[in-house]
Amino acid sequence: MDEEPERAKRWEGGYERTWEVLKEDESGSLKASVEDILFQAKRKRYMSEGHGQVRLGMMRHLFVIIDSSRSMEDQDLRPNRLTSTLKLMEFFVEEYFDQNPISQIGIITTKNKRAEKLTDLAGNPKKHLAALKKAVDSTCVGEPSLYNSLNVAITGLVLTIYTLHMPAHTSKEILVIFSSLTTCDPANIYELIKTLNALKIRVSVIGLSAEVRVCTILTRETGGSYNVILDESHFKELLMLHVKPPPASSSSECSLIRMGFPQHVIASMSDQDAKPSFSMSHLDSTGEPGLTLGGYYCPQCRAKYTELPVECKVCGLTLVSAPHLARSFHHLFPLEAFQETPLEEYEGERFCEACQGELKDKSVFTCLACKKVFCVECDLFIHDTLHCCPGCMQTDRTS
Amino acid sequence: MIPKLCYFLKLLVFIILNNLILKLKLNIDGLLVYFPYDYIYPEQYSYMLELKRTLDAKGHGVLEMPSGTGKTISLLSLIVAYQKAYPLEVTKLVYCSRTVPEIEKVFNIIYIFITHCIINSYFKIAFQIHFSSVKYLSFLALRFGKEVDGKCHSLTASYIRAQHHSNPSQPVCQFYEEFDAVGRQVPIPPGIYNLDDLKDFGRRKGWCPYFLARYAILHANIVVYSYHYLLDPKIADLVSKELAKKSVVVFDEAHNIDNVCIDSMSVNITRRTLDRCQTNVETLQNTISRIKETDAAKLREEYSRLVEGLKEANVARETDMYLSNPVLPDEILQEAVPGSIRTAEHFVGFMKRFLEYLKARLRIHHVVQESAPQFLKDIYEKVCIDRKPLRFCAERLRSLLRTLEIADIADFSAITLISHFATLVSTYSKGFTIIIEPFEDRTPTIANPVLHFSCMDPSIAIKPVFGRFQSVIITSGTLSPLDIYPRILDFRPVTVASFTMTLARTCLCPLIVGRGNDQVAMTSKFETREDFAVIRNYGNLLLEMSAIVPDGIVAFFTSYIYMENIVASWYEQGILENIQRNKLIFIETQDAAETSMALEKYQEACENGRGAILLSVARGKVSEGIDFVHHYGRAVIMFGVPYVYTQSRILKARLEYLRDQFQIRENDFLTFDAMRHAAQCVGRAIRGKTDYGLMIFADKRYARADKRGKLPRWIQEHLTDGSLNLTIDETVQLGKHFLRQMAQPFRQEDQLGLSLLTLEQLQSEDMLQKIAQIAQQA
Repeated sequence: MDEEPERAKRWEGGYERTWEVLKEDESGSLKASVEDILFQAKRKRYMSEGHGQVRLGMMRHLFVIIDSSRSMEDQDLRPNRLTSTLKLMEFFVEEYFDQNPISQIGIITTKNKRAEKLTDLAGNPKKHLAALKKAVDSTCVGEPSLYNSLNVAITGLVLTIYTLHMPAHTSKEILVIFSSLTTCDPANIYELIKTLNALKIRVSVIGLSAEVRVCTILTRETGGSYNVILDESHFKELLMLHVKPPPASSSSECSLIRMGFPQHVIASMSDQDAKPSFSMSHLDSTGEPGLTLGGYYCPQCRAKYTELPVECKVCGLTLVSAPHLARSFHHLFPLEAFQETPLEEYEGERFCEACQGELKDKSVFTCLACKKVFCVECDLFIHDTLHCCPGCMQTDRTS
Repeated sequence: MIPKLCYFLKLLVFIILNNLILKLKLNIDGLLVYFPYDYIYPEQYSYMLELKRTLDAKGHGVLEMPSGTGKTISLLSLIVAYQKAYPLEVTKLVYCSRTVPEIEKVFNIIYIFITHCIINSYFKIAFQIHFSSVKYLSFLALRFGKEVDGKCHSLTASYIRAQHHSNPSQPVCQFYEEFDAVGRQVPIPPGIYNLDDLKDFGRRKGWCPYFLARYAILHANIVVYSYHYLLDPKIADLVSKELAKKSVVVFDEAHNIDNVCIDSMSVNITRRTLDRCQTNVETLQNTISRIKETDAAKLREEYSRLVEGLKEANVARETDMYLSNPVLPDEILQEAVPGSIRTAEHFVGFMKRFLEYLKARLRIHHVVQESAPQFLKDIYEKVCIDRKPLRFCAERLRSLLRTLEIADIADFSAITLISHFATLVSTYSKGFTIIIEPFEDRTPTIANPVLHFSCMDPSIAIKPVFGRFQSVIITSGTLSPLDIYPRILDFRPVTVASFTMTLARTCLCPLIVGRGNDQVAMTSKFETREDFAVIRNYGNLLLEMSAIVPDGIVAFFTSYIYMENIVASWYEQGILENIQRNKLIFIETQDAAETSMALEKYQEACENGRGAILLSVARGKVSEGIDFVHHYGRAVIMFGVPYVYTQSRILKARLEYLRDQFQIRENDFLTFDAMRHAAQCVGRAIRGKTDYGLMIFADKRYARADKRGKLPRWIQEHLTDGSLNLTIDETVQLGKHFLRQMAQPFRQEDQLGLSLLTLEQLQSEDMLQKIAQIAQQA
């Protein structure tokens, strides 16, 4: 007989009281309250973002520390905390580069009282994703060490920023995903918090089990945020909060950075002049080097790359494409939240400006600039994805 | 005479408040109350209403309100406002608390109160005094309180000072002389004085701060000190006897007041006491014979004074100037000292005989329990000592010591103790019992005879307090069931009320764990407590909790022995090792220094994220008076029901007495006592509305209605049917959920309107109705 791991059965776990959050409306129906909950959750996210025009740290250097201690084997997230976290992390990394194209990320894991760097700070999502996929199979043992992992992260951040002559205003961040309730530290962590503070590194923590005092202090002193998850969807929501760039500290001075905008050279196999060549990014990767025809050529040294954004291996120039920059532009000028009015009070044609569907939800949303109305779904789509109001665009064009 | 136990007296003098600025001006039942914060908890308002009613009726009150909801500030603001409004009705507030840190806290609150409420400072005085450390001012080299007392007495006693007049080379205390000369005439400048301030003040003026404080107590509007200054007859006589009748006395943290009363009236005599007493008697004899040669007149003078009787004291009591002293009962005052002990030699002979008798009694090999009349009969038959001279023993000894001009009275504590015993045993025929044990139960081979003269009736010690002061308020976080205190303390309160905590989020989570995962019942019941399965289940519970609770866990056991046994078998089973992967383990021991070391390290481990477990004992030092705020105590586990050791003879005698005199059944009292200690233990974790914590009762007996019903109302309210008789697994699930919920951001705005009110919110009709429900009359 197979020896199953202990407590693997679903029925041995906790009761999931999904019904507790539900409330019946006056007629005894549940539908309204469920819809209300979903609706509130949707609205909440971008409402929290509306802080107008502030300076944002667009150029981010973020280290994610993932706890891989024994406690990550807990099954309160399915199938267990580690797998669930890594899955969400993959999503996070994609979103992160999507929204912050000129930023970098690095991943550190901590277990058995040690910290291990999974990936260095780099701007290429592929490498991180590969590393995360591989990490799923690793075992979770021992206690984590907050001190050691923060130390590794600090060294990593400082080294990258100083060797590459990054401007001082780049935002330095650490995000800790902390599952354990204990940390095994070789020295006093409060000294390290002082160092973090001096280096202006912002540390945020997402706790997977409960509020730990040392994390509260760590985040409070360094200006980060500390949240504890309730369930998996809440976890995702909290992670996504870190996708958006944080406000920059007002003290940092402005400076210009050099960037290259390489053009994509397309060559077809039929073209006789085209010669296949190696991409420079294959220099340090173990994957098979592929010969390709076209690519991006660094405007400074003509090194070839197949993907952007990347940092030139030869001359150190940051290479981005114009659409990348444009995508992060909306963070600086976010679309203002639409005005919410209950459906009964709204007088006008009952169809959504965007999808042309009938307005059936409890409330409608009005753009303050063009006075067009939208339904909930479109409102969310506009704020989350489009970042510009279709109504306004139309009036711009017609006028 | 010098107080022996003047360790931690803090007093606060506070003369009528004027010109208040305020954050909140409340109208409590027609009384204008100044409140130093912007917001008020609804239960505070309700508390003040009840308090006002008590003061109006000039009666006593029993009020229960959870800790962390601002009892002290409510008490202070209301009583001070009352003083201001009716200066002739209430002249003084006497605030008694139990431990030094608590007294310190009260003082800080008063400080906040005054600095927030007063703009013009021409009418305020506040004192905080610590007698013995004040005395160190003059005698820096002495280490022990007793020595300080003795030294002080040798410099300030009246005869020493008289000698100084004729012989200036006789040393006297400069500080005292200075104070005696001018201190009493000059009013103490208004202001808030804490301990150091007072010492400073004394040093500046060259006055002895100790005597200054004793004098200032009479003029204080608020006095804050320890219970003992009011309840212990030996000290109360010195410190508190002149307190005005129209005072309001508040006993805070009064859930143990009956035990304090009993302790203050009980006497334990060991063989060592008797040996020391023997030397004392010899010293007395030598001094008497020496004085007889040099100054026979003095002894004659004393004799005639004793013939006159204790008229002085009687007059004072009749004119209602003093708080009566239970050691000095009324009848004694009306009679003269009996002839058989009037001369000094006779008295010493008498004491010798008494001592020999006690020694003989201690030479037994079996346990003896007898009542006071039995004891008196026996002593009359064996050594012909009558009841009457025994009753005068304490007074007679005091007089003798005064006459003999023995300066260093610290050495005479043993004989003083014996004389107190003699007086008490001959005065009270009821309410006391004498138990002579030849050895301790645990070590039957080692002879260690002890004579317990134990008081069984707490009302004896507290009776003068209830009799003298117009309002006495007994308050604490855990006084349930409320009706038992008036019964055992023998008084009739006008208000008895329990208040709940209004919460914006349920920040406490009481759970009763009755079974292990293997369904074996978990209980510390005597028959099953050594059961292997029970011990293992307790271990598993702690192990599982250590994995889900962040930072600090405090676990309470029922006794030191039980804790030692359990920890030993956990070690053998490897449970300890597993727990240590999650958290460090610290253990409270009977050694105070060790315990405070463990506590310090425990807090350090909680602070830096390692996490820790403190294993301690209900009724121990940790369970009383040490708070585990926020991360220092995220969960409290109570292993078993903390019944008192029921085999103790003293306890048995007391239970019998309670049954006969107050019709309280043994079982009721034992449960009441156990539950108040359990409530005290688990209450350590919640010290305010922003705090949160799990309260785990690990014994199936808690689920019974008779136990559950005796928990304070604010805990009972959150004990739903779903949290009774859980298994370990269920507890873990509930705990996990609770801790995640509580970790969500919580701001002050969330509390506003629910558990935190502004003035406008307070005035709304709706809210007033809600507030009316908070107080529950018992």
